[in-house]
Amino acid sequence: MRRLGLDFIRRLEWSGLLAAGLLVAVGIAFLFSAGFRGDGRPIMGYYERQLGWAAIGCVLYMVFAGLDYRIWIRWAWWIYLLALALLLLVFVPGLGVRTYGATRWIELAGIRMQPSEVMKIALILALARLFGSRTRDPRQARHVVAALALTALPMAVVIKQPDLGTALIFPPLALAVMFAAGVPGRYLARLIGIGLLLAAVLAGFTVAPHMLGLDQATQDRLSAMVGIEGYQRDRLLVFFDSSLDPLGAGWNKAQSQIAIGSGRMWGKGYMNGQQNLLGFLPRTVAPTDFIYAVIGEETGFAGSLALLFLFSMLLLSLLRIAGDSPDKYGAVLCVGVASMLFCHVFINIAMTAGLMPITGVPLPLVSYGGTFMVGIMSALGMAQSVHVRKIRSENFQP
Amino acid sequence: MRSERERRLGMTEKASRWRYTLVVAFVVLSLGGQAIRLVMLQAWPDQIRIDSINRARQLVKDLSVERGAIVDCHGRVLAMDVFRKVVCADPVAVASNPCLQDVAETLADPLNVSARVLMRQLGSSRRRFVYPAGYGRTIDDDQACLIKEKGFQGVFFNDVLTRSYPLGASMCHVLGYVNLKGQGSAGIELKLDDYLRGVPGLVVGEFDGRRREIYERRKLEVKARLGASVILTLDQYVQYLTEQALLRAIETHRAKAAWAIVQRVKTGEILAMASLPAYDLNRFREAEAESTRNRCIGLVYEPGSTFKISVIAAALNEGRVRPDQVFDCEGGVWMYQRRPLRDYHPYDKLSVADVLKKSSNIGAAKIGLALGPSLMHKYLLAFGFGEKTGVDLPGEEAGILHPVQDWIDISPTRVAMGHEVAVTALQMLNAMCTIANDGVRMRPYVVQRVLDRDGRLLVEQTPTVAARPIKPETARLMSRLLVRATEEGGTGTRARVSGYTVAGKTGTAQKIVDGRYSDSLNVASFVGVVPADDPELGIIVVVDEPRDLHTGGLVSAPVFREIAEEALRYLDVPPSDAVQVAQGARPLPGGRSGRALAALKETAADETQGLD
Repeated sequence: MRRLGLDFIRRLEWSGLLAAGLLVAVGIAFLFSAGFRGDGRPIMGYYERQLGWAAIGCVLYMVFAGLDYRIWIRWAWWIYLLALALLLLVFVPGLGVRTYGATRWIELAGIRMQPSEVMKIALILALARLFGSRTRDPRQARHVVAALALTALPMAVVIKQPDLGTALIFPPLALAVMFAAGVPGRYLARLIGIGLLLAAVLAGFTVAPHMLGLDQATQDRLSAMVGIEGYQRDRLLVFFDSSLDPLGAGWNKAQSQIAIGSGRMWGKGYMNGQQNLLGFLPRTVAPTDFIYAVIGEETGFAGSLALLFLFSMLLLSLLRIAGDSPDKYGAVLCVGVASMLFCHVFINIAMTAGLMPITGVPLPLVSYGGTFMVGIMSALGMAQSVHVRKIRSENFQP
Repeated sequence: MRSERERRLGMTEKASRWRYTLVVAFVVLSLGGQAIRLVMLQAWPDQIRIDSINRARQLVKDLSVERGAIVDCHGRVLAMDVFRKVVCADPVAVASNPCLQDVAETLADPLNVSARVLMRQLGSSRRRFVYPAGYGRTIDDDQACLIKEKGFQGVFFNDVLTRSYPLGASMCHVLGYVNLKGQGSAGIELKLDDYLRGVPGLVVGEFDGRRREIYERRKLEVKARLGASVILTLDQYVQYLTEQALLRAIETHRAKAAWAIVQRVKTGEILAMASLPAYDLNRFREAEAESTRNRCIGLVYEPGSTFKISVIAAALNEGRVRPDQVFDCEGGVWMYQRRPLRDYHPYDKLSVADVLKKSSNIGAAKIGLALGPSLMHKYLLAFGFGEKTGVDLPGEEAGILHPVQDWIDISPTRVAMGHEVAVTALQMLNAMCTIANDGVRMRPYVVQRVLDRDGRLLVEQTPTVAARPIKPETARLMSRLLVRATEEGGTGTRARVSGYTVAGKTGTAQKIVDGRYSDSLNVASFVGVVPADDPELGIIVVVDEPRDLHTGGLVSAPVFREIAEEALRYLDVPPSDAVQVAQGARPLPGGRSGRALAALKETAADETQGLD
């Protein structure tokens, strides 16, 4: 491993770092606003805690950027197993924390964390290990099957929690990595076909019975057959017809669109978001899943577009690092990080803007959430590490 | 070997370049697509979206306004607005708790709905807000407290102003009720709705996320104008005793209905207007159609003998007959124009005065012929028959008085005895009062004043003269003749009130069933004025379909006496006759002994017969 000194700073990929830093700063600023209730002081301390998490995230970013990413590739299988174990700990009574009918958190030594966030990164590393090797031919079916197994296992656990939003990230992530790693199109097409078929079955058991006007009990039975919880089905239904529940799930969707829409071109100004200020955006979700609505309302089209631009900048920088990667491990790693980031950004903005069902996917670097912030920052650090080591090392074998 | 691997890797390399470009393009295009969505949402939103955004927070609220009170002539409250609780429920919240059955059983009783219906309503709905048992159903604070104590999830209360009638069924036909939309729907509530209703205020502002108003953002506030109060001429106590007397009469005679009016002779102010069956105004939705009818002004009936007073007064006024002029009453049956005309009791010869006293149909018919149809018609119009009296209540009937050109040759004989015409009790009473009031017909009224909340006078009604059909001398003569009808040998002896002279006339009209006069179904009435020498009160009592006893003299005259006796005492009307006072007919403590004495006197009196 080469020693890096001042050279390290010089070699940093600055556009991505700048974008990430700005996103974190914007996130904290608007968490302050989202916690602000109009009487001179924020009543919710989200921004303070997020500041702490951001600080930890920065340190981790630097640590991961400084360390050679290939260490993680080498230990990828163990990291994967460890993450899976953490994920399963959620179901251990006394460790798992139950909120809103789902067990997504564990509490270890007073620290609360969301193992599914760790799992995403572990999966990326494992896939990088699988497809990064120049000796493994990605066109062989057994590698595709292995990749599918690696993805499906944690996904099943996450669905069981249940956390549909997070589980939704896994398939596109795996697909994107496989695509970039050179898995033949025919396999991917088949996978997508199967995925669509599953989605169709799901819709057939949830949305269609409602459209046909079957009674409640039958609908419940049918969705239970495909393992869909009542609230999840309601969210799907409300997405198609938000008048079904104007005060529950439909409320968030409608209010978030109203918030974004009422921002118009230049927004209402920082800390002036009425939808948030007056509690139309429910105060439990405004700082987390719906932070984009707060930003959209207060900064308008200009601000929303700027945020979208920052994300594009970050994503393109990751893809550029992937393209310039010294080895295929780094490339697959960066594509994995980029696709994870992209899925979050896309789904979150789409649901906030009323293009997708409400699924509870946070906006990376901006939404409130400790594990997620730390996880993304670490992943970005690994990508930076790839860039810093942009020197051909053909003979690297983990 | 090596070249093979190189070739393969090379291909992968080339393929991965292409794929790399595709990934970048995909990312850029997706985020670009979202940017387009943002353009639609924010930069150039369509009008529908802008409207829905603006509407989401806008608050336009009508401030409900208290309706004015209705009080009687002494300020006793007859109708007022009070706050009551409306039960509201969130079925989803109720169903998500295991207390559904408990909730349904608790609510069933106060809401007067079966628990099963409530279970179904609350158990199956996916709505978040319902009114169990419908919107109009309110409950008392006490009941609400009992329900609140149980602490059910998803059951809560809204305060609403509701109309309350402390007297329940008393005076129901005069007062009327307010429907669920807050519109006066009958009686005074309808007639004076514009005054009572007031003007609701308006607030335009903004809601916050919990649908509470943000006060600092109030854009417009128009203060509500409270409804004005209405002061009636009616007296709650006189009304009460009238209703009680009617109630007893209905019970005693097993009658279908009964109604009565007490009116001040000299002014036309109505002191009581009662019609039975009645209904509880607080539960107007459960009232039967029959009981909602104000029979005093809304029902026309053939008056029978009471009607003779107007015809005989007219004949006297025209000088066509003299009081002592004798008519041949044909021994009970008279064939006129080949049609028989019968008397209830046969008489040979009767003076005009006695025709009135004994209520001879044949005598009245001959007086009618002496007057002639066109004059008779003219006088009847002047007495107010065939047209509304103009009382300030909705739903008044005009009665039936055919135009004179439609009369046939026997019409004058029939009209003279109160057939072929139909009147309301109020019209009949007003004819009587006209005679007692020196021939001056006053317009009857029930509303004295309307005051707004600051005490400003909006409306004041004063006595109004409607017509002067007969000369004062004729009127005074008629009064004297009518006093004789309640003296011994008259038909109205049971209407006598000790200490006071009563001028009155009985009436017994056969009801028309299937186009023929019925032998068993009657309308028995008595209309009178007391005291006759200085008239204060005019009272009419009508009893519909009394059983066993049929005549006005036996059925209605005693009711008249009951009402008059107590009302005179209550209103402090000085007695007519000092001698009778000395006899103790009007003792100090009032009440029982006086009535007992009167009863004694009555039994002692020569009860010739309750004739008609």
